[in-house]
Formats: sequence, structure tokens, C-alpha cells
Amino acid sequence: MISSTISSNRRWRRIFLVLGAVVAAYAVLAPLTSLDFAQSANVPLLADRLWFRLATYIAMFIVMATAWNIIGGITGYAAFGNVAFFGIGAYTTGMLIAKAKWPFLVALPLAPVVSAAFAALVGLPLLRLRGHYFAVASLGVGVAVGELVQNIDYGGQPVFGGASGLFLPILSINNRGLFFFYLMVAAAAIAIAVTWWVLRSRFGYGLIAIRENEEAAAVIGVNTTAYKVAAYALAAALTGLAGGIFSQWNVFINQDNAFPIEYNVQMILMALLGGTGTVFGPAAGAVLLQLLIQFLGGSLPITLNLPFVSDTARPILAQVILGLLLILVVIFVPRGVIDFFGGRTRLSLSYLRRSLRETSL
Amino acid sequence: MADFVQLVILGLLAGGVYVAVGVGFGLVWGVLNIVNLAHGALVIVGGYITWQLFSAFHLDPFLTLPVDAVALFVIGYALQRGVINRIIRAPLLFTFLLTFGVNLVIINILLLIFGSDFRSVTPHYSGQGLELGSVVVPYVRLASLAAAILLAAGLAFVLNRTRIGLAIHAISSDRDAAQLVGIDLRHAYAVTYGLGAACAGVAGGLIALIQAITPTAGEPYTLQAFVVVILGGLGRVSATVVGGLAFGLVEVFGQSIPGSGSVFANAIAFGLMVVVLVTRPQGLMGRLR
Repeated sequence: MISSTISSNRRWRRIFLVLGAVVAAYAVLAPLTSLDFAQSANVPLLADRLWFRLATYIAMFIVMATAWNIIGGITGYAAFGNVAFFGIGAYTTGMLIAKAKWPFLVALPLAPVVSAAFAALVGLPLLRLRGHYFAVASLGVGVAVGELVQNIDYGGQPVFGGASGLFLPILSINNRGLFFFYLMVAAAAIAIAVTWWVLRSRFGYGLIAIRENEEAAAVIGVNTTAYKVAAYALAAALTGLAGGIFSQWNVFINQDNAFPIEYNVQMILMALLGGTGTVFGPAAGAVLLQLLIQFLGGSLPITLNLPFVSDTARPILAQVILGLLLILVVIFVPRGVIDFFGGRTRLSLSYLRRSLRETSL
Repeated sequence: MADFVQLVILGLLAGGVYVAVGVGFGLVWGVLNIVNLAHGALVIVGGYITWQLFSAFHLDPFLTLPVDAVALFVIGYALQRGVINRIIRAPLLFTFLLTFGVNLVIINILLLIFGSDFRSVTPHYSGQGLELGSVVVPYVRLASLAAAILLAAGLAFVLNRTRIGLAIHAISSDRDAAQLVGIDLRHAYAVTYGLGAACAGVAGGLIALIQAITPTAGEPYTLQAFVVVILGGLGRVSATVVGGLAFGLVEVFGQSIPGSGSVFANAIAFGLMVVVLVTRPQGLMGRLR
């Protein structure tokens, strides 16, 4: 019985890994069919504009969910305002390109640097708080930074473009979609590699010790303040990198698209869905959830045509479904779907019943 | 000096709404240990009930407040009993995400029903006010403050003088011991959340009187309720009343700062919260527990 469970879990894990490799290979190779020489050689076009847009968004969320995992999953601090770092990264690159006329690839490395510096600065007081206090205070940072960026004036002129936003010059290169897609995928690869390294380093063991018991971690010699601030800044740097790429990719940034409050929850839900504290879990969750969000929003080629639902009600209904999904995941699959592949358990009615009983009153 | 007096009066009046928003949030947080991110959405449900009764039946908005309270109590009781009770023993991130999911569902259902148009409740006396020298005090604001204080007093009465209030105190100090002496935990939790939601409903009715509402108008109030509760100190209704009034004062004085002080409401609220948390974590009125 036990051996059959283990072998079936091995099989599942192998299927999962093969599936992941196939998806990754497809994602990396499909864009090449859009190049000119491939088109002139009559290779079927596998990646059109819509494909690039969707795939770049997915890669962007892989970065954000994986970055959140470092502070939220590994360190155990429920950061609820990471979108602030995305916005700061976007505005850093955006301002350097639009106002200081820097070239994009020179301006981009400053996005993670500024985001990380900001995170270290606010992290010093904020990370003294725990539990609910830290979560809501970090949410407050997310809200407040967006508001400040939109409203700061100097001599009557909005410093950061104000309510009308910031326009960047379009990058003049061929195959722009392809370029930004690969750039975002590179950022996602960096985020995953950093997580992999963290989980195998002394630093990562310190973070896990903080998550499990902060006092005990301090007693065995972990400099908890430095570790927590470093983890927060690391997550901020990766999120800021995604923001920096986003600003040049999207060409236009304002408070609504650089500081969307809903990203805060989406990245957490992705990490949770895939499995927090793991290397690939948040990435898998990001792919699944972003595809679902786009599907419900009607931007995928395959769409769901519900009777009695008008076009205006559709996106609203999509949000209702997303909310219900959030509730169901939290109640029934609190350890993420990766639990089913990690060799511990299988999806069954008794699993759902058990996770309900563990947390229920 | 007259300016200063006027600002103090306006600040206390603005604080009325924050008292109403804060007491329910503080109750749920203090007793159930849940930071209820759906609080703002529940507030706006109350606002829409008041608006609906006012526009369809021309009921006086202040008379609709008990209806808000009862309706939201029922919604809150069902929500806690059916959904939130399922994750009471989970880590706090889960209660956050769950209540955020509830928030998302409620707001979008409101959008489906009412659309995103601004709705306002304007009874015939809405433009009138009481003149005190150079200061004009709008009647609606004055009555809102009175209603908020009454609400807080009513909640304090229920918590301190009734049997279910005793049960709530008991689960708040020791859940397992409370169960041992025969308290039905599921029911007591649901009543607590229901009371919190009822307060949110009343707050929503008051908010509909002083601003135009949309389904998303409640979101700032969640963060503000959190600041109010921290400002006053967690655990007592009277502390939240002080916190709410203090928050109203801070807001009004913040807006009076020359320059664009009014657009930084969230930044000011948040900055204040961090300062209080770092320097006086038990709140203005709190005792260290």
C-alpha cells in the first residue's frame, strides 16, 4: 500500500516535471516562429501579438509571485503591499527614460536597486511589527506610495507625471514583442534561480528559522533584523525588475497600472496555489492563475460563452468567480496544489475533509 | 482661534463616521483575531440598503439604520458560520486572503446589481446646519456623530451587560476554557462577527448621508478602520471611540495644511499608524496586555 503510493507519487512527479519542461520549451521556442527568416521559410506562426502579450504577463507574474515567496513563503512575513516595489521599479525606469533620456538597458538595472533601497528603508521599522500589524502596515505602504507618486507636485508641476501618467518613448527595435518576452522570461529565470540559491544557503536556513520561531532563531545566532530586511529587499529588487521591464514594454505608466492593488493579492494567491516556500510552486501557480484570469476576462482565444451574461457584466462576473476561487483555495487546499506532486499526499475527498478539519472551529 | 475651534468641531464630526466604522472592525479583530478585509464592503452594503429604502420608499435615512444593522447582522452571522469559521485555526495569512475573497465577491455582486454609478442620499434637511457664531455645523454631521456614539454605547451595553456579551468576553480571553464551560463556540463566533457587521451596516448608512457611494467606496474605510483601532488601542469599545475621534481630528487638520494636503489622506493615515505602532503599540487608551 505504502510502496504503491510512493511509486504513484514518483510517477506523478515525473509527469509533472515532463509537463513543466514541455511548457517551458514551448514558451521559449514558439516566439522564434515569428522571426522573419522563420516566416520566409513557411514555419507556421505559433506566437502572434496576443500570444506575446499573454506570455509576457505570465512571466511578469512568475517574477512577482516568486519574489513574494521569498518574504512571504520562506520568511513567513505576510507582505501585503509588494505592488509598491513593482510601481517603484516601473517609475524609476520610466522617469530615467522619459525625463533623463537614459537608454532603456542602462535605466533598467536601477529599478531593482531603487526598489531594494526603498524596501530596506521602510523594512527597518515595518519588520519590527509582526502578524496582522506587519500585513496591514505593508498594505498601507502599497496604497500610500501609489498615492504619493500620483500627487507629488514641485513648483506646481507634477513630478512623476501626475494623474495623466508618464509616457515613455517607444523602443525602436525589431521584434519588440519577442524582445520584451525574453527579457521578462530572463527576469523570471533570475527570480527562480535566486529562490533556489536562497533555499540552499545559510541565509535561507536563517529565514526558515525566523519563519518557524523568531525568538529561537535569534537565540541560535541569526541576526533576525538583518535577515528579514535582506529578504524584504531581495523580494523588492526582483519585483522592481519586473516593474522596470513593464514600464518600457507598456510605454505608458500611471497609478492604475503601476500600483494595482489587486496584484498584491494575486501574487500571494499564486504562491499559495502553487505552494509557498518551494522553488517552482509560485511559478506554477502564476501560470495557472494568470491563464484563469485571462480566460475569465475573455482575452484567450478559447472563451466561455455564458447565457444571460452581457459583455459589461462579464469582467465583473470574472471577479466574483476569482473571489470564490480564493475562498475555496484558502479553505480546502491551504498548502497549494504542489502538495499533490511532492510525494506526500493525493487529491481526494478525505484530503479536503482533513484540511477542513485542521483549521475549522 | 475661530479657525482652530472650527477645525476641532469639524474634526470631531468627521470622527463620528470613523467611530462607527472602527467599533465593528475592532470587535472582530479583538475577539476573533481576524483582520476583516471585507469590513469596507460590508459598510457599503449598509450604504446601499439605506439608499434603496430612501429612494424607493422615501424613508428617513436615520430610520433605516436599524434595518441596516439587522440585515448586516444576518449576513455577518451566516458568513462567519458558513465560511470564516472554517479557517479559524489557520495562520493569519489565510484569514487575510479569505476575507479579501469575501470582499471581492461582495463588491462585484454590488456592481452587478447597482452598477458603478454614484448614489447619494439627500434628505430635505441635508443642506441645513446649526450656526454657532462663525461656525456652521451641518445637522447631518451632528446627527451622524450622535448616532455613532449611540452605536458604540449600544455595543458596549451588549458586550458588558448581556449573556452573549459575557460569552464573547469568555471566548476572547480563552477559547478552550470557554468551550469547557459550555459556550457554543460556533454560535458565539458567528454572533461576534454578526455584531461587527451590524456596526459596519450602520456606519454605511451614515456614510451614504455624507458622501456619494459606489460599490468600491468602502475600500478606504477598511484601512482607516485599522488605523482607528490601532490609534485607540485594541480590546475596548471606548478606546475605539477615542481613536475614531482622534482620527477625524488628524484628517481635518491634515487637510487644512496648505498645499495639496487633502489628497494625501491615505499617506497621512498610514504614516500616523506606523508612528503609533512603533512608539506606543498599545494605542492612546490601551493597556499593555
